[in-house]
Amino acid sequence: MIIKVENLVKTYKSYERGNTFKETVVSLFRRKIKYVEALKGISFSIDKGELVGFLGPNGAGKSTTLKVLTGILFPTDGKVDIMGYTPWKERKKYVSNIGAVFGQKSQLLWDIPPVDAFYLNKAIYSIDDKSFKKNLDYMVELLSVQNLIKKPTRLLSLGERMKCEFIMAMLHNPKIVFLDEPTIGLDVIAKDRIREFILEMNKKGVTFILTTHDLGDVERLAKRVIVVNHGETVFDNSIDALRSHLGTKKLVSISTHEPLPSLEIPGVLVKSKMSAYDAELELDVSTMEINKFIDYVNKKSSLSDMSVQELPIEGVIKDLYSSRKE
Amino acid sequence: MITAMYIHLQGIKTALAERMAYRGDFFMSTFIMLIVEFLVPLVTYLIYANGASFPGWDMYEVLMVQAIFLLSRGIAFPFFFGMVWNTIERVREGTFDLILIKPRSVLHMAIVTGFDAEDVGKFFGGAILFIVSIVNVPFPGLLEWVTFLALFCVSLIVMFGFALILSGLGIVWIGNYRVYEIFFSVTNFGMYPASIFSKSIQTIITSILPIAMLGFIPASAMLGRPAEGTFFSVIISFVFLSICLLFWKTMLKRYTSAGG
Repeated sequence: MIIKVENLVKTYKSYERGNTFKETVVSLFRRKIKYVEALKGISFSIDKGELVGFLGPNGAGKSTTLKVLTGILFPTDGKVDIMGYTPWKERKKYVSNIGAVFGQKSQLLWDIPPVDAFYLNKAIYSIDDKSFKKNLDYMVELLSVQNLIKKPTRLLSLGERMKCEFIMAMLHNPKIVFLDEPTIGLDVIAKDRIREFILEMNKKGVTFILTTHDLGDVERLAKRVIVVNHGETVFDNSIDALRSHLGTKKLVSISTHEPLPSLEIPGVLVKSKMSAYDAELELDVSTMEINKFIDYVNKKSSLSDMSVQELPIEGVIKDLYSSRKE
Repeated sequence: MITAMYIHLQGIKTALAERMAYRGDFFMSTFIMLIVEFLVPLVTYLIYANGASFPGWDMYEVLMVQAIFLLSRGIAFPFFFGMVWNTIERVREGTFDLILIKPRSVLHMAIVTGFDAEDVGKFFGGAILFIVSIVNVPFPGLLEWVTFLALFCVSLIVMFGFALILSGLGIVWIGNYRVYEIFFSVTNFGMYPASIFSKSIQTIITSILPIAMLGFIPASAMLGRPAEGTFFSVIISFVFLSICLLFWKTMLKRYTSAGG
C-alpha cells in the first residue's frame, strides 16, 4: 500500500459578508464567521501502480483532498500516510517523490520556452545530468514535442502546453503523480495523446490519482474509482462495479412498424420519444427481461429495429452526485 | 547550501530570460526605476540649493544617507523583495500551491521565483548617488568602511524582515497591493538623518522598528560619526528579523489556497 488516508477532515473558516449595501458596510466592522466542512472523514487506500479516478461534483472536496495529499494544506483532523510520510509534516522530503499536474495552473513560464522551466526544475529537484537527459529525451519522444520545447510557452497551443506540463511534473521520476483535470479544454487528439502517455507511465509503475470531470478520462484510464460528494466518500470500487451501480439497467432504442404500444410498464422508463414509432428507454432487466420486453412490443405492435447498450457512465455518476444531499 | 545557491542562480537566470523576452519594456522599466530613485535626492538638492538645510548635515552627507538607503533597496528589491509581489500574485491566482509542491523551503522558492530583474535599476541609482556623495565627503578610513559594510549587511537583514512581513500579509490578505504603500510610508523615515526627527520618533526608528538601519546608521558609520545606540539597533535588527520570520511562518500555516 502506497497511500493510506484515514478519517480526513478539513474545515475552512470563512466570513459571510452579505449582499446588500447595509450588510457590506456592517461586515467591514463585524463579520459573521462560517465554518465550512470540506472533508468530513474521508478514508481510502491505494496500492502501488494503481491508476485511480477521483471524482465528484464541484465543491465535493476533491481538490481539498488532493491539496492535503500533496502537502499544500494542513487537514483539521485525520491521518495520511504516503510512502511512510505525512505530507504536511515532512513536506520537503515527501514532495520530492511526487509530481502534480494541474490543468488550470501552469508550472511552465509564459514568456520563455518550456525547456528553460525544465532546467529550473532540474536544479530544484537536484536531478543529475544523466537522468535529466534520459527522462527528457524519453518523454519528448513519447509526446512528440521535439520542436516545441524550445518555443516560448505563450506560442504553444493548450494541448502542446499540457504535454510540456506532464514532462515538467515527471522529470524527477516521481512515484506518485496527482492529476487535477489534466485534459480540461483539450481536443480529442491531444486528450488521446495525454491518456496514452499516462497509461505508458503507469505501466512503468507510477501511481496516478486522477481528478477529472471528463468521464472519458476515467473510462479510458482508471481501473478503480473513488467518488466523493459533500466531503464524504460515496463510492470506492472498480470501474465495472461503478457501471453496475444502478443495477441491471440497459439503454434500449426501439423502432416499430406500427405506433408504439404503451410503455408505462414495470421495469421500463421512457427517456425520450422521438416519434410515434421511435423511442429511447431505460430497461431494468431484473424486472423485465429483454426477451419478454420484445414479446410485449411485438404483441402490441411490430418491432422493426432495436439496439441494446450499457448505460453511459454519466448516468451512474449523476446518481452518485445527487446522492446523500443534506 | 551549494544546492540552494545553484537553485538561486538558476532562478535568476530564468527570471532574466523571462524578463528579457520583452527587451524594450525591460530596458525602459529599468531606466524608469533609476530615474524614480532620484526623486528624493533631487528634493534634498533643491532644499540645499535654496539655502535651507537639515541641521548639522551638509548636502552630501544627507545624499550619502539616501544613497545607502537606495543601495540597500537596490539589492533587496531584485534579489529578495520580489517575493512580496510574487506571494500576493500567486496566492490570488492559486499558483502559490505550485511552490508548496517543490522539495525546497517555501521561503526560498518564493524568493527564487520572485527575482525582479528590472529592479536592478534601483541599485544603479543608489550606486551613482553613492559615488557622487563619497567623492564630496572626507574619504572614509578602513575602519569606517568595515563598519559600514557590516551595518549595510544589517540593513539588508532589516529589508528582508520587511519583505517577510509584507509577503506574510500577502498570504492571508488576498490580493492587497497596498502593502507596498505601507512599506514606503514607513521606511521613508530611513532616508533622512534621524537627528532631524523628534526624540520619540528617533527612539522608534532606532530601537523598536529599526528603520534608521536602512540608511542613516550605516551612513553615519561611513561618515565617521557613528549614531548613538548603533550596537543596540543591530541587536534590535536581529530581533526584528526573528519576529518577522515567525510571523511569516505563522501566516504560511494559515494559507488556505484558492478554490479548485
